[in-house]
Amino acid sequence: MKKFFTVVKREYIQRVRAKMFIVSTVLLPLVMSLFIAVPAIIVSIKTPPMRVAVVDQTGRMYPQLRQALFGDDSDQDPQNANTGAAGAGARRNLNRFVLEEVNATNDPLDQIRSNLDERLRDRSLEGYLILEPDFFTTGKAEFINRIPGDMFSVQMLQSAINRAAREQRLIDAKVDTKTRQDLLKPVQLQSIKTGTRGQAADTSSTFALVFGIGFVMYLAILMYGQIILGAVIEEKETRIAEILFSSVRPYALMMGKLVGVSLVALTQLTIWGLAFSLLALYGVGVLASQGLPANIPTLPFLHYIYFALFFLLGYFIYGTIYALVGSMVTTAQEGGQLAMPIILILVVSFYLFWPVSRAPDSPFSFWVSMIPFSAPVAMLVRIVTQTPPFWQIALSLLIGFGSVLVIMWIAARIYRVGMLMYGKRASIPEAVRWARQA
Amino acid sequence: MAANETTVKLDRVTKSFGEFTAVSELSLDVRAGRVFGLLGPNGAGKTTTIRMIVNITAPDSGTILLFGRKINPGLQDRIGYLPEERGLYKKMRVADQLRFFAEIKNMRGKQVETKIDDWLARVKLSDWKTKRASELSKGMQQKIQFVTAVIHDPDVLILDEPFSGLDPVNVELMKEIVLDLKRAGKTIIFSTHQMEVAEKICDDICLLNRSRKVFEGSLREIKKSFGRNSVAVRCEGGDGVLDDPALVSKLVRHADEAQALLAPGANAQTLLKRLIDSGAVIGKFEMVEPSLNDIFITKVTEPA
Repeated sequence: MKKFFTVVKREYIQRVRAKMFIVSTVLLPLVMSLFIAVPAIIVSIKTPPMRVAVVDQTGRMYPQLRQALFGDDSDQDPQNANTGAAGAGARRNLNRFVLEEVNATNDPLDQIRSNLDERLRDRSLEGYLILEPDFFTTGKAEFINRIPGDMFSVQMLQSAINRAAREQRLIDAKVDTKTRQDLLKPVQLQSIKTGTRGQAADTSSTFALVFGIGFVMYLAILMYGQIILGAVIEEKETRIAEILFSSVRPYALMMGKLVGVSLVALTQLTIWGLAFSLLALYGVGVLASQGLPANIPTLPFLHYIYFALFFLLGYFIYGTIYALVGSMVTTAQEGGQLAMPIILILVVSFYLFWPVSRAPDSPFSFWVSMIPFSAPVAMLVRIVTQTPPFWQIALSLLIGFGSVLVIMWIAARIYRVGMLMYGKRASIPEAVRWARQA
Repeated sequence: MAANETTVKLDRVTKSFGEFTAVSELSLDVRAGRVFGLLGPNGAGKTTTIRMIVNITAPDSGTILLFGRKINPGLQDRIGYLPEERGLYKKMRVADQLRFFAEIKNMRGKQVETKIDDWLARVKLSDWKTKRASELSKGMQQKIQFVTAVIHDPDVLILDEPFSGLDPVNVELMKEIVLDLKRAGKTIIFSTHQMEVAEKICDDICLLNRSRKVFEGSLREIKKSFGRNSVAVRCEGGDGVLDDPALVSKLVRHADEAQALLAPGANAQTLLKRLIDSGAVIGKFEMVEPSLNDIFITKVTEPA
């Protein structure tokens, strides 16, 4: 046992001290915050408003368009409408557009066009909109503009015209204001878990949480699987294996490597986790200051323990497979090739998220949540949807962590026999034979 | 420890890998405080024998006793093993490396640091204590590897081709260290296929060939039993005499002299007389002991 800890200690200290580790640990949160900050800064750069002249030959559209662009737009997202975000949106539009009405009755259209074209040329105008008299029947309008690249503004303008036209058509159809508002009222759909009504269990954010855990697990396996593989091969490549085996049991060595690398992974993930939590808290604060409610799902405390356990299970079960591959090969390159199918299994088990979330109680869901490779994601989905009986959760964990120990034991045997036959990569049948004969 | 106490004892040990028998019916006695040479050509079974002694593999049959007890993981800590296939953690600093190898042999605490400093001074690498292994030259790495095997002060030291890759100055240094360890009462098993090296430091030897023991005993005795039937000759002319199979059974020519193994029944005096009679100019004519290499070749080719 002491020797096991010696291996763990070496593995951990050597890796945490490495420059690569320090750089990547610090760099990732920095890069991430840049990714968040830079777009925010760019978006906040103030641009001069778009000056648009409106040639309204219908005579009824201009006030509606002003209303749609700057006024109270009632058919936006209802959540925003309640919190005044629409007001903020309208204020943004106020900075983005300057509208002016061009008298369309006195001069012929061609005359107006050439006048406006002249103004586009001397840059006192960015664009003009022509609404012909039959606009309400054809639904066609023309927008001539100097900066066709500003698709964002054009799109906003288009949606404002749309809303304005819809409103005016309803008015033309003699629909009164209240009926108009009632007709255009959007639907609000809330998904609520059975039996928890009133507790405001927001299933979508819970799913997001499980999905997030699954995703972090996936990333951790992708990142650290290769490192485990490398750690197992290290003694073969540096030819230290034989010295070590005269001092320490192969099983203790392999477990020491797995645990050592895993502690490194946990260290890095914890640092990143803290950094992201700070960023997220900042983000929640920003959203809250804009009046957006940010949902942090409320879950039983036990669920968080399950999250941690199944995360570890997922990490270790795939980690051991990497160790097994490492025990069979002699160089990291060979290991990389042999490790490809692992990624495939990982991806498949990740996609089980959907069938299991649709029928968390089906026999299919039961079995995939017992198989160690798919259990972490499948069981987590089941826990947050329809929490299965405790014995199922316990059994799944038992099978999973039991498999970790068995796979490591097999890997240790293959490693030991493989070491005695230098420079030879084990074929699968050979590996099986080695595991039996060792 | 008494001088004649057996430290390592092998009794009819056999090990096969599939069809191939690596070691067959091998019995050995390695006595305390002596340098025991495990000799033989490549593939003779030396490394497999050593691996069974250090408990990396188990014999198929037969027993191995270490300090009178069956080998077990606890006893492993009393062995220092320098395998032929050896290396260092490339990115680890020398001191960290040595500390790890001491701890993996269950040596802990302050004495580890003292040992590290002592040994680095002994192999003249004190200045390299905080350097990474990859910054060391090949010869320096070899010396550090040697230290990893002895850092925990083992009672039995097993060295498999310890001097390969060292320059002559360092070979001398390491040889001195090995002899110092012997004087300190350590038992040393020394495996090599370089007979000249073994000849200089081994007290006892065991010759292995094709998985079997060819000979075991003290180097002195075996040399005595072969007698002085070899002559080192440096002369001009006289080729016909040296090539006469009635006088010389085997002739090995070196750069400027030749070594002649006398044919059975032949006599050095007769050889000298015949050389003078043939008109050869003799620069050197000396009776020498047979080299271990000659003994080995004779033993291996001798009909059983």
